[in-house]
Formats: sequence, structure tokens, C-alpha cells
Amino acid sequence: MKGIPLLILIIFLFSCQTLPLINSPVSPVDEKALTCPSPFLKEKYRLVHAIETRVTGDTQSAIIGVTMADPSTRFISCAIMTAEGMVLFEAESGPGTLKITRALSPFDSADFAKNMIEDIKLIFFTPEGKIQKKGNLPDGAAICRYLEGNGDWIDVITDKSEGTAIKRYSSAGILKRQVKFNKTTGNIYQSIELQANEVLNYSLLMTLIEAQPVESELLQKE
Amino acid sequence: MRTRCNLYIFVCIIAGIFLVLGSLNYARANDFEQLRKESANIKTIQAHFVQKKSLKILSKPLISEGRFYYAAPDSFRWEYFKPLRNIVIANKNNTKRYIASGGKMVEDKTGGAQAMKIVLNEVAGWMSGKFNQNPSFAATINEGANIKITLTPTEKSMTGMIEKIEIILSKKSATVQSVKIIESANNFTQINFDNVEINKAINPSAFQDAQ
Repeated sequence: MKGIPLLILIIFLFSCQTLPLINSPVSPVDEKALTCPSPFLKEKYRLVHAIETRVTGDTQSAIIGVTMADPSTRFISCAIMTAEGMVLFEAESGPGTLKITRALSPFDSADFAKNMIEDIKLIFFTPEGKIQKKGNLPDGAAICRYLEGNGDWIDVITDKSEGTAIKRYSSAGILKRQVKFNKTTGNIYQSIELQANEVLNYSLLMTLIEAQPVESELLQKE
Repeated sequence: MRTRCNLYIFVCIIAGIFLVLGSLNYARANDFEQLRKESANIKTIQAHFVQKKSLKILSKPLISEGRFYYAAPDSFRWEYFKPLRNIVIANKNNTKRYIASGGKMVEDKTGGAQAMKIVLNEVAGWMSGKFNQNPSFAATINEGANIKITLTPTEKSMTGMIEKIEIILSKKSATVQSVKIIESANNFTQINFDNVEINKAINPSAFQDAQ
């Protein structure tokens, strides 16, 4: 019995090793001067994407996703619809709130809404957590590592040739999500690939249909 | 599964309405029976369409464009060119959806054969002009500058999905002008048809080949 906590500790320590090693600048001045990659929204935006879903690499279906995200308030409004215009899912989320206005099966589980909002935040918002480490990966890519309130780690990485990526790890260092911005010039949200490591691995390939900054027209509408 | 089925019904309703209404030349306000007789003369229909999706989250409607083909008795192709390339093909008892992926069309793997079968039964009613005989919808006709047909779902399976469907027919050209599918007050889809061609030959490959 005494061996169990030790075993858990060993597994935990072993798991943590999956977090990539960051080489921090030797001088604290240099570390402070290092700018973190920021593929995130700077202002309130509305984005419409064609989303191709793949499960274990096989294309399953295609849907249209609409996202309105405000980085200053961390407010998100989103909808999923078919090409025919049928709305399958619609929700709004603010800090600590989640309001689902429409959810048809299989988009009607509580986990789906929560995970979807978390994925949108991961793609479009600067992590809420504190920066724990800045530096470079062994291949030279610039990286900033954030520690989230729930213990998850978020790495934001920029490589001159590979572009920008975001990786979310569990507190144990297990890779849960990987976001890759495939376009290095023009609109960074033109082509986004999100890979989710779940019981059944899936990926979303998002191709931008339209993007526009949002003034206050939604408030006026209301 | 139920959503998938409803989704296909949604697609097919759009198509089915259009098929039936292509023959409204002589339909009068309360003449559903006449409408049913006239629909028997339709062998093929093809048309271009522009779809405008309005949703609270959108500041302006999301515009899609495509083309529609029908050949009696049970073949249709509903194709979107943009922004999301997508084709539904129904031929005899076989209905499939295709999506663009990596430069080619691949079959949508989320649809179920059972759902498709149910949908085909649903569509069959529309195709034979049985407007007021489909228990899923209650139909009314209002005649003004144009003819407006309103369909209201009667079945629980449509609850929360479709509030009503409004079809506008041009009195002048005697063809369908538009279909408006209202899901809720802030959520509706308007489809405007143009270049409608009735009984013009359609290459059979349109109902077999997704490319």
C-alpha cells in the first residue's frame, strides 16, 4: 500500500516531462525583453469559418461556425450551423457565465458547450494565467508558458518557418489541445487547425469565410 | 440520429417545396387539389439560388449560393458552390451528402441510412404535391400582390427547430420567388430562386456524380 503514493508520484513526475523544455535567456534583463508570441484578438471581432471535422484523420462532416469574441471583456457569442443554414448550436459566455440558447443533438451535452467555449478562448484570447517561463525551445522557436487557474499549462509558440501554435497541457503535462495557425502572412485566422486529444482524437480544420471588427452594433440591435 | 434526420428533412423541405411549387401556374387560393394535379406534369426542374442566413450574432446575412436539380420521380441534387461547398444527392432510394475536403468531394460520414430513408418518405409527399395532406405541416394560402403559402409544423419532432415556412410565388411569372424558413424571430433563412427551368433535360450524372 505504501508503494501506491510513490508510484503516483513517479507517474506524475514522468508525465510532467512531456512539457517541452524551455531554454530561458541567461540574463533576467534579456528574459524581460523577450516578447511573447500573441496570435490573439486585440479587439472585438466577428469571424465566420467553414469547419471540417476529422476523427482519427478521416473527414466526417463540414459545418459553419460563427464566433463573436471580445478580448477586453472575454465575452464570447457563438453559433454552429449547417450549410443549409440550420442552427445546431448557439451560446453566449462571459466570465463565469454560460448561456445556451439552442443545442440540438449531438451538440446538447453540457460538456460540449463548455469544451467549445474553452477551445474558442484558447484560439482567440490571451491566456488568463500568469507567464511562468519565457525563452526558446531547443529548435529555436520562441515560447511563453502560462499557468492557468485550473493548473493547465498553455504554451504559445512562434517559429519563423512553422508559424504560430498554441498547446494546452493538463496539470500533469499531458497534451490536450493543439492549435496551429497555418497562415504566416495576412489574416492569421485564415486557416486554423485544432487537434483535440480525447478518448477519441479529433481535429477541426477552420477556413475563414469572413472576419470583421465589431463596433457596438449588437448593443444597438438589442 | 434524430438531429441528423431532422437535418435531412430541413434540406429536403427546401427542395421539396420548390419542386411542388414549380407548377403553381393555375393554383388558386384554396386549390391544393389543382396544385397536386399540375405537379404531375413536372419531369425536371433546375434553378440557381441565393441563400441569406440571418442570425442575431451576424451583423449582415451570411450569403450562400448554389444550384438545384430535380428529375421525376425521385432524383435531386442540392448543391452549394460557396461559401461551404456541399452537395446532397438523392437518387432512387439512395441519399448522400458530400463535402469538399482537400480539393475533392468526400462523403459525409455522419449521416445514417435510417435517417435518409425516413427523409425520403417525407419528401415523397411533397413531390407529389400533397401540400395539405402531409400531417407534419399545416398549409395556408394567402393571395395578395404575390401568392404566399405558409406551412406550420404540427409534429413535436419539429418543435424548437422550425417555427414556420413562408413561400412566395410570383403571380406574374407563376414561379416560386423565395422560401423563408423561420426557426425563431432572430433566426431565419431566406432562399431566393432565379433562372428557373422546367422540363429541360438534365444529364443523369448530376444525380450520380458529386464532382
